[in-house]
Amino acid sequence: MILEQLIGNLIQGLVLGAIYGMATMGLSLIFGVLRVVNVGHGAFIMVGAFIAWWLFSALGVIPILAIPVALVIGLALGFIFYYSVLRRLIKAPELASLLATFSIGVLLEETAKLIFGSEFRGYNWAVGKITLPMTVLPMTKLYACLGSVLIAVLLYIWFNKTRAGTAMRSVVEDSEGAKVCGVNVEGVYAMSFALGIGLTVVSGVLLTMFIPVGINPYMGGPYTLKAFVIAVLGGLASPYGAFFGGLVFGLIENGSYTLFAFLPGVEPFALTRFFSCMMLLVILLIRPTGLLRAK
Amino acid sequence: MLKVENIESGYGSMQVLWQPSLEVKKGSITSLLGPNGVGKSTLLRTILGSVEPWHGRITYEGRDITPLPTHKKVDLGITLVPEGKHLFVEMTVHENLIMGAYRKEAFQHMHDSLKLVYALFPVLKERDKQKAGSLSGGEQQMLTIARALMTKPKLIMLDEPSQVLAPKLVGEVFETIERLKAEIGLTILLVEQNAEASLKAADYVYIMHEGRIKAEGGAEEIAASRDMREAYLGI
Ligand SMILES: Nc1ncnc2c1ncn2[C@@H]1O[C@H](COP(=O)(O)OP(=O)(O)O)[C@@H](O)[C@H]1O
Ligand SMILES: [Mg+2]
Repeated sequence: MILEQLIGNLIQGLVLGAIYGMATMGLSLIFGVLRVVNVGHGAFIMVGAFIAWWLFSALGVIPILAIPVALVIGLALGFIFYYSVLRRLIKAPELASLLATFSIGVLLEETAKLIFGSEFRGYNWAVGKITLPMTVLPMTKLYACLGSVLIAVLLYIWFNKTRAGTAMRSVVEDSEGAKVCGVNVEGVYAMSFALGIGLTVVSGVLLTMFIPVGINPYMGGPYTLKAFVIAVLGGLASPYGAFFGGLVFGLIENGSYTLFAFLPGVEPFALTRFFSCMMLLVILLIRPTGLLRAK
Repeated sequence: MLKVENIESGYGSMQVLWQPSLEVKKGSITSLLGPNGVGKSTLLRTILGSVEPWHGRITYEGRDITPLPTHKKVDLGITLVPEGKHLFVEMTVHENLIMGAYRKEAFQHMHDSLKLVYALFPVLKERDKQKAGSLSGGEQQMLTIARALMTKPKLIMLDEPSQVLAPKLVGEVFETIERLKAEIGLTILLVEQNAEASLKAADYVYIMHEGRIKAEGGAEEIAASRDMREAYLGI
């Protein structure tokens, strides 16, 4: 019984983990290239969630088609915030960029509240379920998972096979070295920030496909926290590390939830959150460069 | 080929360069000597544009290039072998070289350039699938020079290429620099602390002190002047 439930939940955890991974890649990309921690990360997930919700409930556009829309809006927001705010802060002390990205997050939240109000929204895209051994998976969740994996693969190809992607990798490794090779480092910064925000907004769409309720201007906070844990799991500066970290995190979150539910007198969900924070601390202590990295 | 006039620059509000001027003749090795911390690296970075000039003029092949961004200067055939290498250590030797050919013009000549650097540094060919970080110090220095050659430069600036190398390797590096001039016809601006070896390799020498050029002259002339050697070079 308990084993069956555990395996069922682990399958769900893997699916959710792929989406978590996707939702952290943008954070890692921005940190890797610009060395800026985007504290407003969750707010961009919220933007994606509202895009999916609004397109579906106002225009009847299915969430899969909301993905390209979210990407375009995310890229545009990324370029706007890069050139208006972040460009000046790259060489400034870290506190400046932390405050700036925090403020951008607040700005987005309050703008969303002005436009949509603060009630919780949800949508219901009914496209059936698929029955797996030990669990039942709504098709929307499956699509979201496949979408995440596909985007991760595309990003991998972009990084390794395209000129722009190679330039980004070189800046991550050594921006001084990239400069003497003739890489337009300033341009790479702008592009990476835009791409990171684009990915994050898209992940907001994918998250609503997994959890189509609770869409609200302030929904981003917990996702920021989770993204930090996942990014540290995967080694902070590596988008693939982040994807891997997401899978691990999804498994641990759902696995521990099942087990905690059997403990008498505890609220399993709250304990899960405690567990993830503990995990963050332990990893920072024993493997501060992430689970994937040897050093 | 390159003319630097009354350059001022620095970091934040700290001024490092106080109007040094120098000229690099086509096909020559020009050496910039001086003790640690006087602004030699800053001058090279300012020429390439990764440190912004505040004042003064940089002319290259008769054209004012002072305000150009770094990547435009690389397009024009200027490159830098930076102090401390700045290799992409997680990439292979081959990938590092390909990065050198990043600009469009250089990319079109990539195969010829690869042949050239592999002929110049056969050991890099043997190790081309290895990560740059796994090479020895001497091999890494060769790779840094090779990567710079991949940009198809006409003017190559080297910032202390013999730093932290074993004495035997120092000789090899200087040999390589002389071959770059003799066999490929490159123009070279060489920053060094190893005054003795530089004086042998260079055609013309500038001596820098506290952000200013204190003395200049033909290499033999400087080497022969006891005053120069005692006052500035400590040899
Ligand atoms: N990136 C930097 N940021 C701030 N100060 C720097 C930087 N690089 C060098 N400096 C300072 O500028 C001065 C000149 O340094 P540098 O150009 O590296 O001298 P050199 O190459 O002759 O040893 C030194 O006082 C050094 O501390
Ligand atoms: Mg120096």
